[in-house]
Amino acid sequence: MHYPEPISRLIDSFMKLPGIGPKTAARLAFHVLTMKEDTVSTFAKALIDAKRNLLYCSQCGHITDIDPCHICSDKQRDISTICVVQDPKDVIAMEKMRDYQGLYHVLHGAISPMDGIGPEDINVASLLARLHDERVQELILATNPTIEGEATAMYISRLVKPSGLRTTRIAHGLPVGGDLEYADEVTLSKALEGRREL
Amino acid sequence: MNIERLQLTNYRNYESLTLDFSNKINVFIGENAQGKTNVMESIYVLAMAKSHRTANDKELIRWDADYGKIEGVVNKRYGGIPIELTISKKGKKGKINHLEQTKLSNYIGQMNVVMFAPEDLNIVKGSPQIRRRFIDMEIGQISPVYLHDLLTFQKILKQRNHLLKKNQGKQAFASDVMFDIYTEQYVEAAIQIIRKRFQFMELLQEWAEPIHFGISRGLEKLVIKYRPVSGMEANWPTDRMREHLTEKLNEVKQREIERGVTLIGPHRDDLQFFVNDYDVQVYGSQGQQRTTALSLKLAEIELIKQETKETPILLLDDVLSELDDYRQSHLLNTIQGEVQTFVTTTSVEGIHHETIQHAKLFHVKKGAIE
Repeated sequence: MHYPEPISRLIDSFMKLPGIGPKTAARLAFHVLTMKEDTVSTFAKALIDAKRNLLYCSQCGHITDIDPCHICSDKQRDISTICVVQDPKDVIAMEKMRDYQGLYHVLHGAISPMDGIGPEDINVASLLARLHDERVQELILATNPTIEGEATAMYISRLVKPSGLRTTRIAHGLPVGGDLEYADEVTLSKALEGRREL
Repeated sequence: MNIERLQLTNYRNYESLTLDFSNKINVFIGENAQGKTNVMESIYVLAMAKSHRTANDKELIRWDADYGKIEGVVNKRYGGIPIELTISKKGKKGKINHLEQTKLSNYIGQMNVVMFAPEDLNIVKGSPQIRRRFIDMEIGQISPVYLHDLLTFQKILKQRNHLLKKNQGKQAFASDVMFDIYTEQYVEAAIQIIRKRFQFMELLQEWAEPIHFGISRGLEKLVIKYRPVSGMEANWPTDRMREHLTEKLNEVKQREIERGVTLIGPHRDDLQFFVNDYDVQVYGSQGQQRTTALSLKLAEIELIKQETKETPILLLDDVLSELDDYRQSHLLNTIQGEVQTFVTTTSVEGIHHETIQHAKLFHVKKGAIE
């Protein structure tokens, strides 16, 4: 099928987004043609603004439009605790909980020799700098429960241990509110391993 | 457990085929290259969702077709259930009781089979790799957690090897923090695997010893030992295993850095077989090695029976003719009436055992079955 050039460029652009194949991209592109012109320009501007005006917080590495970010500059938050996560999306997940009052530190990845990611390729150096602040009392390691996430957590705890700072690792096991019958065998067996006395 | 009916659509050389089986012994007779093993393989694939002969699933589809399908009705203690496996170029899909399974790992395990093919006779004499594959396949069939642990172990091993390869020959790497961390993770994962393998081999030993004693007319005592390269023993507590493996890894550290590869662990371990205290691999006769292989397979049936409360289906691919009369009849006596069995052979002449005389015979000729 031959499209006029402007629309084929639009289709091509949509296809750069994750989860969008040629058919969905064509559908979205044709929908754009039916939209009002100012809606389209607001949309275009939103795309550019998101890219231009967002930056990474110089303290925690989370995405933000001001530096330091809203979380780091919030006076209400408990600065004695720092929670280390792999990804900005993890911060958003933690924030949804509304229970955690401390600060964050985003690593932007996990150590994986196979993929050529070493300790120097993730945001660890600035974390160590933050720990010099004596008001920090606890470091929570909330990297993913994968081999790479575990290795990263172990690595950070090794670096921090000599300073005597309290370092904790989040728990893993059965999801809360889920039925036991829906858990797979592996999760169940790991949950059984980590059982505790009541 | 038995399979009552098998339907093949576009599978290997069969465009469309329906067979009804006896719940005792079924024999496929035919010349070479007529399609006997293909039927046998299809039963194996229906159970395990992969072939024992090839890693490439596309080979299983008839050459001009887009997809191939295997359907069967499996009778278990609590009734018969239809199961179905579709193989297409995009992948495989399993249905249990007409319900599509989202994960193939949920599909596997519905039907248990034990395959005995000529290459299994090499389990004693062949390379350690064959024996490790045997252990992993057998434990995997009864324990999904083992499969998960094995996958974790393999990933960590890969990461650790990668790190070693990258720093090959660098002496300073010995005190690297990352190397230390991966070693620690590696030890934990390795111990999980080693402990499960010890447990499994002990169970298998319990079943295999009396079977072997029977086949050898009460002359031979078989002992199977799992031998980790690190020199651990089965009765050690986990803490001691952990300490020991860490220490051994520390000893070979320099050599690992020189060679750029992990030298100690489950990926290097082996099985040892002893008959009357002699190592069968070194001192055993051809016959003793075959008896050992046969005892292992028969023990496997008993073990699966104990763990899953169902008798697995036995597949004997061209292996009867490889055994002498006495071993043949011992094998047939053990399974008699109890285990649904499939046999392929070029002729039934020379097999005088009465179970074969009463078996359901299928004549395979140029891809047609009567």
